[in-house]
Amino acid sequence: MIRFWQRAGHAALVLPLVLFLGLFFVWPLLTVLEQAVSDPVVSRHLPATTAASATWDRKSVPSAEMQQAFVRDLRAIDDDQTLGDLVRRLNSAQPGFRTLMKKTVTAARDSDGPLDLAEVDARWRETAFWRAIAEATNPYTDRNLLAAIDLQRDPSGAIATMAEGESANRTILLRTFLVASTVTLATCLIGLPYAMLVASSVGWRRQLLLAAVLLPLWTSLLVRTTAWYILLQDQGLINSTLSALHLIAHPLPLLFNRTGVIIAMTHVLLPFMVLPIYSVLIAIPKNLVPAAASLGAGPIRAFVYIMLPLTLRGIASGALLVFMAALGYYITPALIGGPKDQMISSVIAFYATGSANWGMAGALGIVLLAATLVLYGIYGRLSAANTARA
Amino acid sequence: MAIPRIRIDQVSKSFGAVQVIKDLSLDIERGEFVSLLGPSGSGKTTLLMLLAGFEQPTAGSIVLDGSRIDHLPPHRREMGVVFQNYALFPHMSVADNVAFPLKMRGIGRGEVEGRVKRALDMVQLSSMRDRRPAQLSGGQQQRVALARALVFEPAVVLMDEPLGALDKQLREQMQLDIRALHKRLELTVVFVTHDQSEALTMSDRIAVFNQGIIEQIGSPRAIYDHPATRFVAEFIGETNLLEGTVKGHQADGTTIELDLDRHLTVPRTEAILPGARVLVSVRPERILLGSPSVAVQNRLPTRVLDSVYQGDHLRVQLDEAAFGLVVRLDRRFAEWPAGADVVAHFAPDDCWVIAA
Amino acid sequence: MLRTGRFLFGAATVLFLLAPLIAILPLAFTSSSMLTYPITQLSGRWFEELATADAWRRSIVNSLIIGGGTTLLATVLGTLAALALRRRIAFHSALRTLFLLPMVVPAVVLGIGLQILLARLGLANTYLAVIIAHTVVAVPFVLVSMSASLDGIDPRLERAAASLGASPARVFLLVTMPLAMPGILSGAALAFATSLDEVVLTLFVAGPNQLTLARQMFASIRENISPAIVAAAFLFIVGTVLIGGLLAAVRQKALRTSATP
Repeated sequence: MIRFWQRAGHAALVLPLVLFLGLFFVWPLLTVLEQAVSDPVVSRHLPATTAASATWDRKSVPSAEMQQAFVRDLRAIDDDQTLGDLVRRLNSAQPGFRTLMKKTVTAARDSDGPLDLAEVDARWRETAFWRAIAEATNPYTDRNLLAAIDLQRDPSGAIATMAEGESANRTILLRTFLVASTVTLATCLIGLPYAMLVASSVGWRRQLLLAAVLLPLWTSLLVRTTAWYILLQDQGLINSTLSALHLIAHPLPLLFNRTGVIIAMTHVLLPFMVLPIYSVLIAIPKNLVPAAASLGAGPIRAFVYIMLPLTLRGIASGALLVFMAALGYYITPALIGGPKDQMISSVIAFYATGSANWGMAGALGIVLLAATLVLYGIYGRLSAANTARA
Repeated sequence: MAIPRIRIDQVSKSFGAVQVIKDLSLDIERGEFVSLLGPSGSGKTTLLMLLAGFEQPTAGSIVLDGSRIDHLPPHRREMGVVFQNYALFPHMSVADNVAFPLKMRGIGRGEVEGRVKRALDMVQLSSMRDRRPAQLSGGQQQRVALARALVFEPAVVLMDEPLGALDKQLREQMQLDIRALHKRLELTVVFVTHDQSEALTMSDRIAVFNQGIIEQIGSPRAIYDHPATRFVAEFIGETNLLEGTVKGHQADGTTIELDLDRHLTVPRTEAILPGARVLVSVRPERILLGSPSVAVQNRLPTRVLDSVYQGDHLRVQLDEAAFGLVVRLDRRFAEWPAGADVVAHFAPDDCWVIAA
Repeated sequence: MLRTGRFLFGAATVLFLLAPLIAILPLAFTSSSMLTYPITQLSGRWFEELATADAWRRSIVNSLIIGGGTTLLATVLGTLAALALRRRIAFHSALRTLFLLPMVVPAVVLGIGLQILLARLGLANTYLAVIIAHTVVAVPFVLVSMSASLDGIDPRLERAAASLGASPARVFLLVTMPLAMPGILSGAALAFATSLDEVVLTLFVAGPNQLTLARQMFASIRENISPAIVAAAFLFIVGTVLIGGLLAAVRQKALRTSATP
């Protein structure tokens, strides 16, 4: 009995953090999801219309009842901001609503009692506009999520690609993916040999090589990015050294372009590639390569058949870590990159703080989050397998 | 006179300022089982590494079947190596581990299959062929390592303390198994160990290492009964060492004068001149204890200090009158309690003289 | 041949890793307002600017306040959780994964969510909001550090204390906590460093009066770059080194006193 309370008390120690994270970590993420799929403008501000449209067949022009419900709702709106939001929302689904609504609202406010909408504007006889309103009454939508990957629903309801120039999200997603891949490759090409070098060194040499990798980790990311910003300038240290050595005639453009971003991100993320590989390497028994040699495998074959397969897990872990981090990076591409180098995180930030389009910000955020979580799941599997094997 | 299979000719090896092997020469015959025995740091493992090709000699040469091999890298030496801790490839199955050397030699699939099967049958592990090394016990891993080192039928097999991690019973069984394999396959084996009873059990010849040189090389019997140096006498088995001076040589033996005006007759050794200081080595199991009145050669009247039961024998400590000799008293003989007056005695052939 | 190749590669990589940091630090002392070499004259004016310019001074103070708050909150929450996770409680690995997730999730996404949520809770533009945000990402570090430290405590010491008459509470206070102190201090230091360095969440959550040093640096780089930024970076590095050095010293002392003979 005492044991039970003791253990319950012990387990209760975990509650404060669980509550804290539940409130300030999980709930915000759910909020993002909510923003991505919510579309409350119409359902909130045209309540009668919303109720009425539930029974509408969407094939023929709506009943008079529904039309008057709409008029009533319009009259009830006294806030220009809300009206603006409403118009924007409807217009993005069906062009022409801006002028239509202007006319209709003026007409509604100038009169009392039932209003003949067809009289105000002939467009009210077209089901297309009414359908746009009806579809917008759903408080949840997949518009944003679809738009996040440049898709939309055409008038018939099927999913189709957006027209050229309307949305550049795919381009940006692709670009983010490309940059992350390039950085992962670069860190792998430098990191794998370096990790092998560290693992095969002893004494002070190994300590030095390890310190060189750990020290940047300890230093602030902002400081490191600032350092690269300063170094990559046209008059920065790199260019001035190269021209002092007469290797270049004109300064190399290294800032505000892809090259600079790749260099800076590789520098920042290199430790995340080196450390997993290193930890796998030192766990490999030292006598495996001599054993392979005694059995007839030369240095190259010993590497290919013995070292590489055993190191693969470390390389995969490192690559996943780097790729995951690179996908979501904000600071480095924002500071070092040019307009053509902005990654998905910048776009999300822009939608959120720049244009207050929380729907798109949320949708893109969900895409990024989903990708990250999937990768983390794979990484977790790999690490578990690593420790099980040890 | 057949060409020795391996000739190690005046080999030295230094690591920086430390000389680990000093001008060592050794011939190993075809089909011989030679143990390199010695304490840690004596150079035995280094010599094995030189043979395998993982180290290069600082001086001297190593010749295999008439041709020099010290310039050859390990993967071209055609020697099977069984490592301490086995060095099995954790990411390959047992069968793949054993197949590895055949794969390295480009041998075709069908033949590989057959040879792997035979190798695993030889060590009685066919049922484990698809398991991973991590799923096997220490003894089973050992046998896989053995199969892997033998499957490509190397000229020579080198073993670096392969039985060290096993428990006593398993180790003794493996010793017999390895010896049986050696005889059956007519292998030439170089076996490193620090366990002298292991060396005595398994070897045709034992090379006793001390600080980079071989103090004595010979059959187990020769090493045990006739140790050449104090080190060998003390390293192999247990012994009593008595300091004395050569008094003179007679027809039936040599007389050694010990302290306390005692004399011993030992096997005749004219090589050592009268007046020279020597050590007489007499093994505890060779000393007999009799009642004070018994008349024998090499007689040391003494008193029993302590008598400890050891199961199959009694360990008897004698007092200073017998120079603190330790006697291993077989249970078949009469027991003597502590404090009893006895005479310790042994025949001249039961002891051995070492130059001091 | 291979040896020189290895040496060159190693040296080049070490240079790549460390040079950027070392290369810019001297610029904190340049007298010119351009961030270029060679430095013709040394001056401490940029440090002066940090101390006197309103924006910089406020941001340093803010960083200290928010850093302190984060350290406190994160250390408490993280330590409690680490203690709980010492034993196999229900949902052990799920909880552990949850606690480490903040390190993995993209900060931008979390930032948006927090901005909306904190506004709804009426905490927009407050110090508390920023402290909460920083704590979320700092807790995993405290947790990892504490867990490692607690794992290193020999349970036999605690059992011995119990066998000598100490109640569970006293064992905790007199044996467990003192032995875990290095872990607590490391965790606290990491939490402070994390808060100091945090930019992205701060972008979303901090109001104009809660701009931290990092946030200020970020804005300056984009809008108005000057050696003051390098001076700030210098302070950052010095601060980090001091904390790291302090930690190392504490750890050494702990090792010496707790080493079982």
